[in-house]
Amino acid sequence: MSNPNLAVELAGLKLKNPVMPASGCFGFGREYSNYYPLSQLGAVVVKATTLEPRLGNPTPRVTEVTAGMLNAIGLANPGVEKVITQELPWLAKQDVPIIVNVAGSTEREYCRVVEEISNSGYAQAIELNVSCPNVKLGGLTFGADPKVLANLIKKVKKVSAVPLFVKLSPNVTDIQDLAIAAEAAGADGLSLINTLIGMQIDIKTRKPVLANKIGGLSGPAIKPVAVRMVYQVAQVVKIPIIGMGGIYSGIDALEFIMAGASAVMVGTANFTNPMACPKIIKEIADFMAAEGIESLEEIRGCAL
Amino acid sequence: MLLDVTGITNLTSNIWELCLSGPFPYQRVQAGQFINILINQGKDHILRRPISIAEVDTNKKSLTIVFRVVGQGTEWLSQRQVGDQLNIIGPLGTGFQLPAKNSKVVVVGGGIGVPPLYQLVKELKQITNDLTIILGFRNQADCFWVERFAKLGQVLVATNDGSFGTKGFVTDLLDTKANYEYLYSCGPRGMLQALKNHCQGINIQGYVSLEERMACGVGACYGCVCSSADRKLHYRICKEGPVFNWEEVAL
Repeated sequence: MSNPNLAVELAGLKLKNPVMPASGCFGFGREYSNYYPLSQLGAVVVKATTLEPRLGNPTPRVTEVTAGMLNAIGLANPGVEKVITQELPWLAKQDVPIIVNVAGSTEREYCRVVEEISNSGYAQAIELNVSCPNVKLGGLTFGADPKVLANLIKKVKKVSAVPLFVKLSPNVTDIQDLAIAAEAAGADGLSLINTLIGMQIDIKTRKPVLANKIGGLSGPAIKPVAVRMVYQVAQVVKIPIIGMGGIYSGIDALEFIMAGASAVMVGTANFTNPMACPKIIKEIADFMAAEGIESLEEIRGCAL
Repeated sequence: MLLDVTGITNLTSNIWELCLSGPFPYQRVQAGQFINILINQGKDHILRRPISIAEVDTNKKSLTIVFRVVGQGTEWLSQRQVGDQLNIIGPLGTGFQLPAKNSKVVVVGGGIGVPPLYQLVKELKQITNDLTIILGFRNQADCFWVERFAKLGQVLVATNDGSFGTKGFVTDLLDTKANYEYLYSCGPRGMLQALKNHCQGINIQGYVSLEERMACGVGACYGCVCSSADRKLHYRICKEGPVFNWEEVAL
């Protein structure tokens, strides 16, 4: 059996394998470093960072649904200053590329955070969060309209010295329109999908379970939707795609790669199994070895 | 890690006691910590269920948890049999800080909040002889582990309807003139609030164990937060908690 090479390149960013934890599901990496060395990962994608500290939404913020969960954390984070001074220096010592997810309420806020993160020198790439369903301002305001999205990307690109990935929402009429607009505006890559908007009602209290009422659906339940959207977007853009949505196994990850993704992100699976990412990396390698695949490029987009 | 189910007992209409043994860092357990249990391979139920450790026996290498059936996950848990294995993570979170030697201590538990105090009381017994245990239940049918606690110290019981012990609430049994130095409690949020109000103005260190819906259980997702007393900060119940000094948090 050949020794498969899992390395991938995303907009100039060289990763030793295509697996990285999804933003919001991995904090700033410290907690999971108790389970395995983070250097095993392709990259670490940290929690959404905003200009000012945010406390997020009231509790309950999470609830389980069949083969998935709903969350309405609400972008809780310590703010860009503390992220740069207290979180990223530690993560930078873990020998793994860092991608910082950036969120905001205004174009100005996005630009300032991107600029500060870029200037800090800690991030190898930035993921622009224009798809959080759990905040009133920002989030989807920028991610639902191709023109608004393109304007934001153009402005943010001017202040970023590192590659910019734009994280798209599935909660739109046509994800291809947004993907095309993002590429045209200068995005270096796309990550998709963010969570689908959902709700669960407690029939005893007769009210929504989440304090925020609605929340983002993630987990195995959304995987077919996510694979379909990656497949659709891969048909209309040339920039690399990072696929995500319910990835729990190497098989799941390979589906995304065959649908056209260059790399994958693992979110909710970390909660079910803290060792999910290393397990998925091994399962991809095992499949490649068994099938005689030397490089993931051989199968990327093969289903298209 | 995988632990063997070595015993499962029905305690009340919806409360179960589960004994586990197998490879686990028993020595590391701090009273008040919890384990996070995978439900049915994590297929349909993708979130683990956090359950407080009720007792740990480092000699027998076993631990005991007690849980209430509130949904499909805990229902599945209640159907486990001796010989089954459970995939668990733990011990997790920050437990109870023990008092100074020979302190005057009161422990107050309510309902499903009673079991996490058992390991604590066992440890308190090594530290002090001046220990009062107050347990609250809705009614006699919901009472459990009263005798078990009684073997460790003086137990006072309150039930809402008076069908067992004193009629009323745990606060009715907590004498604020008794000069308690430490209070440890676990139970419904309303009970914890009432206790704190009841103890206002007296010099007592209060520690409370809080509960919230959790996702990761390890501090990464910020799902299970509570507010600091000044409401300017959030603490993660799974990481900085579940036990907090009650002056630190908004109850």
